[in-house]
Amino acid sequence: MSDLALIAGLPEVRSAVLGDLAGGFYDAIKEPDGETVAAVMGFLATAVLQAGEHLGLGALRRAAVSGPTRAHLLVLHGTSVMTACVEPPASLASVEKALDAALTGRR
Amino acid sequence: MDTILQSLLDLAGVTAALVFDGAGKLVAHRGHGVYDRPLCEQVSATLVKATDAVALQQRDWESLTAQFADGKLLLRNLGATGDGRSHVLALVADASLNPSFATVAVRVAATKLRKVLEGGPGSSATDLGGSRPPPAASSSQIPPPPAASSSQIPGDSRPVLANSGLSWSKISSVGLSRVAVADPAAGAFLTRCAKELARHVGPIAKVYVEEAVRRVSADAPFALAAAGPLLEDLANQIEDPDDRAKFRGALKNG
Repeated sequence: MSDLALIAGLPEVRSAVLGDLAGGFYDAIKEPDGETVAAVMGFLATAVLQAGEHLGLGALRRAAVSGPTRAHLLVLHGTSVMTACVEPPASLASVEKALDAALTGRR
Repeated sequence: MDTILQSLLDLAGVTAALVFDGAGKLVAHRGHGVYDRPLCEQVSATLVKATDAVALQQRDWESLTAQFADGKLLLRNLGATGDGRSHVLALVADASLNPSFATVAVRVAATKLRKVLEGGPGSSATDLGGSRPPPAASSSQIPPPPAASSSQIPGDSRPVLANSGLSWSKISSVGLSRVAVADPAAGAFLTRCAKELARHVGPIAKVYVEEAVRRVSADAPFALAAAGPLLEDLANQIEDPDDRAKFRGALKNG
């Protein structure tokens, strides 16, 4: 099972997209407009990465955007960016934890 | 606003706290060590690209948390003020940050900052304590530095003073009313600093001087013994090297 399928398989994850830091689109699960999501999230990850470089924070590992009805979780692997749309946003922490456990087990 | 950001900076693990607007312009900042104004301005300009991208995907976003190898970056959307300008609070932290405490502290700070930005008590431009010029100066036409006789204090600035713990002593004719000085000579020096700095940075100069005094003389009234560090601190607010040298020269020779 790919990492994308792993993320999309979590019950709180509504959709998942795989792209890269340049905004390129690779794959999507349950997301009809994966190209747009990949482009936006690639740009977002790049900007946050640059800010982190200015601040000396090292490599960006993940980012989470939260709102009243949903959240987006970005996980970086090298230049790949995986984005998961989480609903409800309160489930963000449990999704991160499940993802950590799953990815740690695979390494 | 400075007081609110300082309260965040007091949190264990936090290395800088800043507020920037929707144009990526730094409004206010507080930071340890290397997290000075130029760096925070650079970071603000970069982070606004990130928040613009977030808004494309999730217009109602409230917070963004980024986990790095050596620290964290927390952004909180402060929303738009009456004039339509949006603002974002950013917190920079190292790995020792307690995420639970930080979440609560950021929420509290965001609530207070919204009140200040929306025109609550102490919301005048001089109270923002940062790099944003007064709203009237937001266009390309920048008003001249305050005249020597214009020492009128904004009526709504006192509530913030009451909370800041800073003493209230009128020391100069350029509105430096929020810093304490050891003697009249020190007050006169600050006045000269503000006037000279205003030649290079405009009317925001007096805010810069107030902030610099707090940095170099945080625990005691400003005295001439701290003139050297203050001069260097203020010189760093001037981007152009030639202007910086002129500023230093004018005050050292004056």
